[in-house]
Amino acid sequence: MSGKTVWAIVGVLFLGGIPLFVHNPYFLHVFILIFLYGAISGAWNIIAGYAGQFSLGHAAFFGIGAYTSTLLFLKLGVTPWLGMVAGGLLSALVSVLIFYPCFKLKGIFFALATLAFGEVIMQVSIYWRGLTRGSLGLMIPFRPSFYNMMFESKLGYYYITLIFLLGIIFLSYSIENSKMGFYLKAIKDDEDAAEAMAIDTAKCKLAALLISSFLTSVGGSLYAQYITLIEPEVAFSLFGISIQIAIMSIIGGIGTFLGPAFGAFVLVPLGEFIRDLLGGKTPGIHAMIYGIMVILIVILLPKGIMRWISDLVQKRPKGVPAKG
Amino acid sequence: MVDRYLAILASGILLGGIYALIALGLTVILGVVRIMNLAQGAAVMLAMYLAFWLFKIFEIHPYVSAPLIILVSFFLGVFIQRFIVQPIPGAIMDMVLIATLGFSIFLENLALFLWGADYRTVHTAINNMIFRIGPINVSYPRLVAFIVSILSALVLYILMKRTMIGKALRAVAQDREAAELMGIDSKRMYIYAVGVGTALAGLAGVILIPMYYAFPSVGGYFMLAAVVVIFLGGLGNMIGCILGGFIIGILEVFSGYFLTTALKETIYFSAFILILLIKPTGILGLGKGSERIGT
Repeated sequence: MSGKTVWAIVGVLFLGGIPLFVHNPYFLHVFILIFLYGAISGAWNIIAGYAGQFSLGHAAFFGIGAYTSTLLFLKLGVTPWLGMVAGGLLSALVSVLIFYPCFKLKGIFFALATLAFGEVIMQVSIYWRGLTRGSLGLMIPFRPSFYNMMFESKLGYYYITLIFLLGIIFLSYSIENSKMGFYLKAIKDDEDAAEAMAIDTAKCKLAALLISSFLTSVGGSLYAQYITLIEPEVAFSLFGISIQIAIMSIIGGIGTFLGPAFGAFVLVPLGEFIRDLLGGKTPGIHAMIYGIMVILIVILLPKGIMRWISDLVQKRPKGVPAKG
Repeated sequence: MVDRYLAILASGILLGGIYALIALGLTVILGVVRIMNLAQGAAVMLAMYLAFWLFKIFEIHPYVSAPLIILVSFFLGVFIQRFIVQPIPGAIMDMVLIATLGFSIFLENLALFLWGADYRTVHTAINNMIFRIGPINVSYPRLVAFIVSILSALVLYILMKRTMIGKALRAVAQDREAAELMGIDSKRMYIYAVGVGTALAGLAGVILIPMYYAFPSVGGYFMLAAVVVIFLGGLGNMIGCILGGFIIGILEVFSGYFLTTALKETIYFSAFILILLIKPTGILGLGKGSERIGT
């Protein structure tokens, strides 16, 4: 077994074993959020990190996932296990209809167009009260069962979100080391040159987009099942979802398969800590600190923790072999 | 019936003038520095509050305090470029986008913290005065806002063409390296450009406060509209910007009249996608490749 495989197994066993020692529901809650945000940040990373299409509208897919599985469950009694696949397919369809034409735009203009799109989807979901109950939100009655994807203890959510995160990390790793991964990197570096090398850039970007939107949507469904209350302003939130997952990938290392999870491990506990320390007392303070943190991260760590560590490792004195 | 449509059309054009002004600020920054400053909406919000408090505490009418607010906004822009955009290594576009968004989160919540979420506006005698053009009634603040918007666009245009700094700014916009070889300090020009762009947002805030409410997240509405406007007008094109402002303004009031105001962003975003599909460079695009500015 190679060193990498050993590390992977140790990591999985460690994360899987945490609930054996930690029983405090609050800590488990923080871990569930880390896994969930790390996973959707990883999904975002596939289109933004690997393919270089910097989307700021992924909240749209997250919200579509949350609303589709919830509405199918509430109105038709469809199990969320199927509902989240339905939501994923719907998100993939929407991504083709809206994001695909936006591929014509380069750089920040793609980002701005997708940002506007996310805001519009939120507006529509607030307005469409007959279906979504608007700003009142949708409440899922708590009836724990495997069929309903609801659990008495946090353990069920813990392992579902952990598997979701590990799945996305593994998928990202596979993409990174596949032909498609190299194509995507070529597109990110220089799209015209990639096209000249006979890479079907449109097809590659579309594939990355479909995977990314589908998985983000599944994350939305899981979120809805866990929180059991969804509101348009939260599920389609520009700052809460779209920006948040981008920041996590940036902190951890954009375009690396572990970066988004790393970012979530730093940012989620930090956010919870600041909220506990200041939240509720005065409005605005905790978001002000968040805003400053975002600026500092971009200025100080634009390449992310993952690359920062590997730079450090490479600076070691000569003669010391670098590990795998 | 025709009178009513004319009145709606007029209010759309007047509204469009303000959108054009905010978008013009973004265009100057985009054209020269090649960045998108997403704190532009927050700058409008801050100027609205500043005008409100100067009126409330010192009873200075917004139209009188305008020069001061424009100056403050200019320095806000200087701060943004010098201390937020410039330190970003390599000034990568996506990172600038995120950092300026972070700054706008900060400003919005600062306003929420200091002044609460109340809606505030300035009421003066001018607000109720009405100007008549044939069958159309226009309130004075709207008319003033429109005239100021168009005038400042003109003044900006002349300054850019005639003054030394304007010429230097345009030189940097066209070719930074060549401009630097001519002895132009491009870093300084970047700071001026963001300052001027933000000052325009401040001016927009001043002329908005007599007819619009200030609240912490008000900037977001104008920001989204301004972004669509500069897309429509062709990126970095000043005349296209004004045209785009009118289109969005007219679209907004008519869709509000026939459908609902709750979906106004949805309407103009749809128009934006449509134009994107037909002509990716915008209505008055700079020609092929201008959609690549900022990559």
